[in-house]
Amino acid sequence: MILASLPPRDAFFETVWYLITTYQQFFFTGIFYTIMLSVIGTVGGFIIAFFFTIVRTTKIDTLRQSKVSIFFTIVSQKFINIYITIFRGTPMMVQAMIFYYGLSRLQISFWTPLVAGFVVVTLNTTAYITEVLRSGINGVDHGQLEASRSLGFSHGQSMKLIVLPQAIRQSLPAIGNEFIINLKDTSVLSVIGVTELFRATQLATSPNYRTTEGFFIAAILYLSMTLIASLLVNKFEKTSLRKEAMV
Amino acid sequence: MRKILLLIVLFTAVVTVSACSTESGFDITSETEIVVGLEAAFAPFNWATPTENGFTVPIANQTGFYADGFDVVMAQEIADALGLTLVIRAIEWDGLIPALLAGEIDLIIAGMSPTSERAQTVAFSDPYFQSEQVMVVRNDGNYADATSLDDFNGARIVAQLGTLQDDLIDQITGVNHQAALNDYASLVTALLNNASDGFVAELPVAMGIVAANSNLSYITFIDGNGFTVTPEDVTVSVALRQEDTALLSAINDALNAISTETRNGYMEAALTRQPQ
Repeated sequence: MILASLPPRDAFFETVWYLITTYQQFFFTGIFYTIMLSVIGTVGGFIIAFFFTIVRTTKIDTLRQSKVSIFFTIVSQKFINIYITIFRGTPMMVQAMIFYYGLSRLQISFWTPLVAGFVVVTLNTTAYITEVLRSGINGVDHGQLEASRSLGFSHGQSMKLIVLPQAIRQSLPAIGNEFIINLKDTSVLSVIGVTELFRATQLATSPNYRTTEGFFIAAILYLSMTLIASLLVNKFEKTSLRKEAMV
Repeated sequence: MRKILLLIVLFTAVVTVSACSTESGFDITSETEIVVGLEAAFAPFNWATPTENGFTVPIANQTGFYADGFDVVMAQEIADALGLTLVIRAIEWDGLIPALLAGEIDLIIAGMSPTSERAQTVAFSDPYFQSEQVMVVRNDGNYADATSLDDFNGARIVAQLGTLQDDLIDQITGVNHQAALNDYASLVTALLNNASDGFVAELPVAMGIVAANSNLSYITFIDGNGFTVTPEDVTVSVALRQEDTALLSAINDALNAISTETRNGYMEAALTRQPQ
């Protein structure tokens, strides 16, 4: 049996190799979920942040808007601000504990640690990207919004068609950075039992107690993922800048 | 704008309604499978492995992972006696009781001691294993020759978070009770790197750890020199929901049919299967 061949404790690289060959399935699963959580969290967070930003930047027009519409706008703007304050001001680990165990009480059948993990990463990333987009919008000259408004576009239209495309392009490095942060920070989801790379490594080292060797492998895997991600982000940035130059 | 708000309201309503479809108690006559929760990180009681053998059961919520260990063998025995298919789910230690209450799992067979604190929330079966509390130390450390708790005066002692062992540390006079760690791998790392002088563990766990680490050893205490424990502290039991009384008596019947010798044999076999 392969289990019998655990190398002696002082043989560091033999132990590393033993862990890789014995537990490659664990590490692959861990990498898969780490990437899935980061991609879905960043994309999902970006989409929600997009709508949040439109709502957040809406100027209230007392002459044209109905009272109900004004009320909804104010309430949703307040909600978004409170949301951002809470999610940026508390650790993702704490959010994971509250969301997973809190909603477990409702006994929803699909509420597994993995689902809770996806929700927490997405909600957390939403808060950060909403802030990123706001600074991106501040970077777009206000005259553009005024010009499109005077040409008859509604606020939503001018944000969606004129301001946000430019703001997003300027925010791309920061959003890419958010993705890289997510690759590393999803490790905190191990507290609720999501089998991303950190917990997969814990499972691989728990029967043999070779923690240092196991997490040495995890460190290399995390480093490879973040290096590849930053290369991709750089490349993506360059292509979108080139497009802008062509326009 | 209003459309988006409407969507959000609708989504919230759907989630709330679907949340109401909760599971009720466990009915032995109509159920075909029994879902057992464990940590899969508490050798030799339970651990995870990528390779199948005659004792492993696939972990249902993690494809490619198999659970092995004493708890898995006992879970299989109980499932066989009840005529049910065994399903194993791996859940973090702190999440086991919430998962049981939420109906995600039907039983906890995870080397869990039936403490009175836990018994307020869940029901416990008769014990399925009894062990003693020992101290794991470094062979080259100052405490390798200790024989009683008094010898650990001033020592830095640690244990796993939320366990009986962590509470026992305070019985040592003059001890430096360190902040508890998450799992046994962290305890071993703390001890090997001289961040702690020892940790408290159950005998089978300590045996597994010492077998995997030749520079560690464990100290057993003779009566009167060791920790003062109540019988329910040194035994492990199956945990289940308090309303599942029929299931409880069925499990106790199944456990009574397995002799102590057989159980100890299962534990020794689990210790040899554990990678070391």
